[in-house]
Amino acid sequence: MSTNPVLEAARPAARAVPVRRAFQLREWLEREAVFSWLMLTPPLLFLLAFLGYPFCYGVYLSFVRRPVAQPATFVGLGNFVNLWSDSIFWQAVWNTFRFTGAATVLKLVGGLGMALVMHQNFRMKGVTRALLLLPFIVPTVLSTVAWQWILDPGMGMFNRILMYVGLVTQGPSWLGNPTLALVSVILVNTWRGLPFFGITILAGLQTIPTELMETATIDGAGSWQRFRYVTLPLLMPVIFIVTTFSIIFTFFDFQLVYVLTGGGPANATHLMATYAYSISMGGGQMGLGSAAALAMVPMLGLVLVAMSSYVRKA
Amino acid sequence: MARSDCFRGSTSRRDFLKLSVAGAAGATVGADWRLRTASAKPAQITFLRESSYVKEFDDYFKNVLIPRYQQDTGIKLVYEIVAAGGSAVPRLVSIVESKAPVDAGWVQQEWLYREALLDVSDIAEEVGKQQGGWYPEIKSLSVWGGKWKSVPFGNIGQTMVYRRDWFDAAGIHTFPDTWEEFLEAGTKLKKAGHPYGMSMGHGFADNNSWLLPLLWGFGGQVVAKDGKTITLDSAETARAVDYVRKLYKDACIDDCVGWLDPANNKAFLTSQISCTNNAMSILISAKRDLPDMGKVIDHALNPKGPKGRFHSLVPVTHGIFNHTPDPEAAKHFLRWLMDPKQVAAWYRSAFMYHAPFLHAYDRDPEWDKEPRFKPDQRVLETGKLVSWPAPADRKAGEVVNKWIVIDMFAKACTGVPTKAAIADAATGLKQIYG
Amino acid sequence: MVGELTWPRRLLGLWVPLAALFVFALFPFAWMAATSLKANAELYDPAANPMWIRHPSLVHYIDLFKETNFVLWIGNTMLVALVSTILSLLLGVMLAYPLARMRFPAAGLLAISVAVAYLVPQTLLFVPMADLINRMKLGDSLSAVMLTYPTLLVPFCAWLLIGYFKTVPRELEEAALIDGASRWRAMTRVILPLCTPGFLSAGIFAFTLAQNEFLYALLFLNTSTIRTVPVGVTGELIRGDAFYWGQLMAAALLGSLPVVLIYSFFVKYYVAGLTAGSVKG
Repeated sequence: MSTNPVLEAARPAARAVPVRRAFQLREWLEREAVFSWLMLTPPLLFLLAFLGYPFCYGVYLSFVRRPVAQPATFVGLGNFVNLWSDSIFWQAVWNTFRFTGAATVLKLVGGLGMALVMHQNFRMKGVTRALLLLPFIVPTVLSTVAWQWILDPGMGMFNRILMYVGLVTQGPSWLGNPTLALVSVILVNTWRGLPFFGITILAGLQTIPTELMETATIDGAGSWQRFRYVTLPLLMPVIFIVTTFSIIFTFFDFQLVYVLTGGGPANATHLMATYAYSISMGGGQMGLGSAAALAMVPMLGLVLVAMSSYVRKA
Repeated sequence: MARSDCFRGSTSRRDFLKLSVAGAAGATVGADWRLRTASAKPAQITFLRESSYVKEFDDYFKNVLIPRYQQDTGIKLVYEIVAAGGSAVPRLVSIVESKAPVDAGWVQQEWLYREALLDVSDIAEEVGKQQGGWYPEIKSLSVWGGKWKSVPFGNIGQTMVYRRDWFDAAGIHTFPDTWEEFLEAGTKLKKAGHPYGMSMGHGFADNNSWLLPLLWGFGGQVVAKDGKTITLDSAETARAVDYVRKLYKDACIDDCVGWLDPANNKAFLTSQISCTNNAMSILISAKRDLPDMGKVIDHALNPKGPKGRFHSLVPVTHGIFNHTPDPEAAKHFLRWLMDPKQVAAWYRSAFMYHAPFLHAYDRDPEWDKEPRFKPDQRVLETGKLVSWPAPADRKAGEVVNKWIVIDMFAKACTGVPTKAAIADAATGLKQIYG
Repeated sequence: MVGELTWPRRLLGLWVPLAALFVFALFPFAWMAATSLKANAELYDPAANPMWIRHPSLVHYIDLFKETNFVLWIGNTMLVALVSTILSLLLGVMLAYPLARMRFPAAGLLAISVAVAYLVPQTLLFVPMADLINRMKLGDSLSAVMLTYPTLLVPFCAWLLIGYFKTVPRELEEAALIDGASRWRAMTRVILPLCTPGFLSAGIFAFTLAQNEFLYALLFLNTSTIRTVPVGVTGELIRGDAFYWGQLMAAALLGSLPVVLIYSFFVKYYVAGLTAGSVKG
């Protein structure tokens, strides 16, 4: 037993040092900023690689003239100038705004109604909810094919019913008349997206504590007042999120129109997404097509900014 | 009658001899390959095509050609099918742009990416020489700068498809020969409850196949032969537009102004229309699913206008991508494919749905099996590319893919005055052609 | 809903609107079902009723299974959707949690840039995306879509989850931290479980979007055996200008119904009304 007093004295200190260092690491990890950034790094890296890079490339493309299989030549804002004087482009812009606006309003109101109805107690609730989601679940390509038949002038269900009821002798041309074509496209989009609104808002409804509703009833509030002053304000965050997402999804919608009308008749249903696509893939102009697609972004951004400032005020 | 039959017989016999000699030559080409060093072979060759309307055509490739190529050369052939109706083009563009591992294919819309295609002049010239020579018009698509960038295959014939029984009932016993007669007949038929259904929507074939020939027949043209001068705004075009408006109002079903390519098939098979412009698909579908209707369907050539009878080609051409790792192997494959030993049977497996661009097949016995398909062969005599008379370059492709001319007619039918519709189209053209 | 559940009220407030919803959402499916069970001749018959089947036939279903790789396509679709969803939820939580609950520098800016990055349409991205995938030698593989789908799903999952995370009060987390739990523990044991409805919502929609996607699947899934339902079905059941309507509708139904079954199972687990542990007053 070597009793070196210096060593003896040093031992507890030596032991104490590593413990303090480990404690420091954990403490450092617990700091809010560190924890947050560590959590954020993997998703951010992923998004940067798979979303950021293609996006930057797309932005770059909109400033060059780039026919397929040919090298790029810088044109600055040339593509955008080209689009500015393109009447089909402006038709597509106008169509996109009308399409998105109408469909979103219809989906929101319908979805809210659906959520309120579904929030009651009844048997087979789970199956019902799942079944009502079918329009959203079925691949758009396939349901749109079905809608081609439903909107058929002679064989389609709409016109068959209209003729049966006697409202018309010959059903309207849902996809031939330019106005009706836009209506049809809005209708199919609403049909597809309404369950999405409904189920999400329903989930939001279900997180509202029942005590709040009970308290309101005890305080004498009728169902409309309960809805307006208790339910609706509490639902706002969920409504805001689902509406925002839906506006983006609808603004960029491509498949539905592409399959149902191809943008016709005579560009009556051409959306910015379908037009950008036809410029790139049909005209082989990747630069101009990217510019048309990119033009969607600030427009959509403005819409969303307007929306969120309105919500913030309210 | 007997003499012409003899003549026909001897011609086809001559062609047959030609073909079998070529076939023997082809077989030795295949054998040659085996003699090359094994290490020079690629592992596989990927061939991309849009799924064919005639399933037997795809099946023939998969079940007969792929095993045969494997046997002849030891190379695995992969057949990639993309959906029709526009899916092939983004796939092709992305292949070209990202140099994906596809070696060859049906180079739809080749005007978009000709620069990325391999020079196949030797193959095309040889095939042409062997098999009766090429129809001149298709050279305007495949030959560029003196070099063949694709090897033509066949034309998907677009003709007038009509209900003989309804036409007979209305007192029209031969299909109208001029556009004026066509309008008259349609007016009668619409009154009898059997309107025409002429596609004018954002499709890819059934709209161009009658509107462009109509425009040309009236003497109108989109862009001149020099590929620069826009000639759309003319009195002839105005006459064509007025005609189409009248046809729509008096003879057509309302819906057709928004029809994509499958819509007229659907309308015809559900007995809603008496006539449309289409490929063989309606007749083939009817024979299979609605045999009674199939008996009374017939094909006819497009009516003629003051300046002649025209048809619009829907060409199928095959090309090889520049970025293929082994150009020699890819070229060998294409040569093998277009060899009569392979291609003749492949053509026939689709009932000549793709009318061969080679004169050797003009009187092929396959055409005799269904006489109603004969017009689809005769389309080649007056068939022009959609860009005609301008060169088939990217700009012409853009015009077609943005439906500039189609929309001009469609707008006229939905209430826009002729002058305005033409002016809109001209503005669109100016944007493209500068 | 709290209120008197009298008979007429229930009829008007529940059964009538529910019936209307059912009709609105499902009538096309009734047509699809009828069409999938009709031979082509009856489908094209103008005298026939679109919703009634005179001579039911399973020929389209049989052809679908016999002549196409439909079973493989369904398997691929489910696999891709599942993996993409899990990946997206994971990345979504990692993105949403700090942005929703933590205060740290640049939080606001990051939230906005994630939101802005989401405003990018597929029509702009798909060509560079194809280039990227091919460079990584992932072309013609399921991995390609499993990696690219989260780019469409993660921002949405993150957004939705931020909303749900924000509804759980800070006091809960702070209480847990005071009790000695680490942030990690507080997150995984206290906060995340409370947001299960949020996960289920986000998961359901991520799964739905993934199995519905078309453009990337078209570009990256080239061999028939690895295709998903949307691309496989349109590739082989749409030939030229001929649609194999009966088989297409059979595929649509068979492709969606399993998903509906799965959903009906999960939807049961929605926590109806959070009470215990939640904020009171």
